Amino acid sequence: MKSIWRRTILVLSLLLMSASAFAAQQVYKLRVDGLACPFCAYGVEKKLNAIKGVREVGVDIASGIVNVTMAEGAGLDEATAKQAVKDAGFTLRGFEPIQPATRTK
Amino acid sequence: MNAVGVAWSAPITFNTALPVHEGGFVWREQFIYDKNSRDPSPANRDVKVSGLVSVLGYGVTRDFALFGMLPYLDKRLDMDTGGQRVTRSDQGIGDLTMFGRYTAYQSDAPGRTFRISPFLGVKAPTGRDDARDGLGRLPPPIQLGSGSWDALGGVVATYQTLNYQIDSQLSYKANREANGFRFGNVAKLDASFQYRLWPQTLGSGVPAFLYGVLEANLVRAEENRMGGVDDPDSGGTTLFLSPGLQYVTRKWILEAGVQVPVMQNLNGAALKNNHILNTGFRVNF
Repeated sequence: MKSIWRRTILVLSLLLMSASAFAAQQVYKLRVDGLACPFCAYGVEKKLNAIKGVREVGVDIASGIVNVTMAEGAGLDEATAKQAVKDAGFTLRGFEPIQPATRTK
Repeated sequence: MNAVGVAWSAPITFNTALPVHEGGFVWREQFIYDKNSRDPSPANRDVKVSGLVSVLGYGVTRDFALFGMLPYLDKRLDMDTGGQRVTRSDQGIGDLTMFGRYTAYQSDAPGRTFRISPFLGVKAPTGRDDARDGLGRLPPPIQLGSGSWDALGGVVATYQTLNYQIDSQLSYKANREANGFRFGNVAKLDASFQYRLWPQTLGSGVPAFLYGVLEANLVRAEENRMGGVDDPDSGGTTLFLSPGLQYVTRKWILEAGVQVPVMQNLNGAALKNNHILNTGFRVNF
């Protein structure tokens, strides 16, 4: 009886750990055209951060790449990203989901 | 007040075509010191204008932005009269300028953008225009406001890359009469070149930029009109060269520059400009 309890606890623990390990945050790589100075990057960050479910926005001004990390379970569609970039005054030229970032809770 | 620009990164002494994001604000504070002397007349006049110019820009849509510009001014005239040196001055809020700017053309590419934006606005007579001292009513150039509603408009083009930026603006201000006096209309042609001095190589993320700035301002002012007669001692053409520095981050900009007149072809005994200093900051929010 004791060993059945032990096994049950072990299995449950493994299940919980694996669920945590695979909790994924979807990341999207946006190519934004027209970004050429630090002051301009602020508007893009602000508009993308205002989208529901966005956890983090990382701009790399040299490449014009903006990585948008979503909260767990949240997604981003291209039309929404395009509108946000447009409202900031720039042009969305590329949109692709990239390998989800996995993390342990 | 030739040195008053509006709110955005880019030129120090005039506007730019770069966007204000929809629903966003850009706030600029600019300290100006404008000295005019070298008076060819026996009055040996010397006019100094110090000003703190507050500018607020708002992005109504991605293409249309509204700007308001309100100066706090200290105007001072020193002159010889009746065998002694006298000072006439006034301090306070000047005239409010408001204008809208529309992005009519935009071409974006990786790490660069080119935009053309016309703008149109008005100057409202919010500054005092009837100040007096012991010698009587102050002359119009020393009044804080002109007393008139004036119209202004123009077009600005900007080409910006990661390494440098070029802006050019053509503008015209049509002045109207108030109190029997009308300032001459002013046409301006401005150009600005900003080059990224630091960092020399761009790293990842959004590093701050230090720009070296060189601007040129060609200003053509018509003669003032007083009591229906043109004042032959006013107006003319001035060309300024303006070196400066800008430190640009995501949220704010610090900047300083000096406008040096390299050519002045003025009418009659019009006062010549010595220099215009301007320094300030801009904040994005």
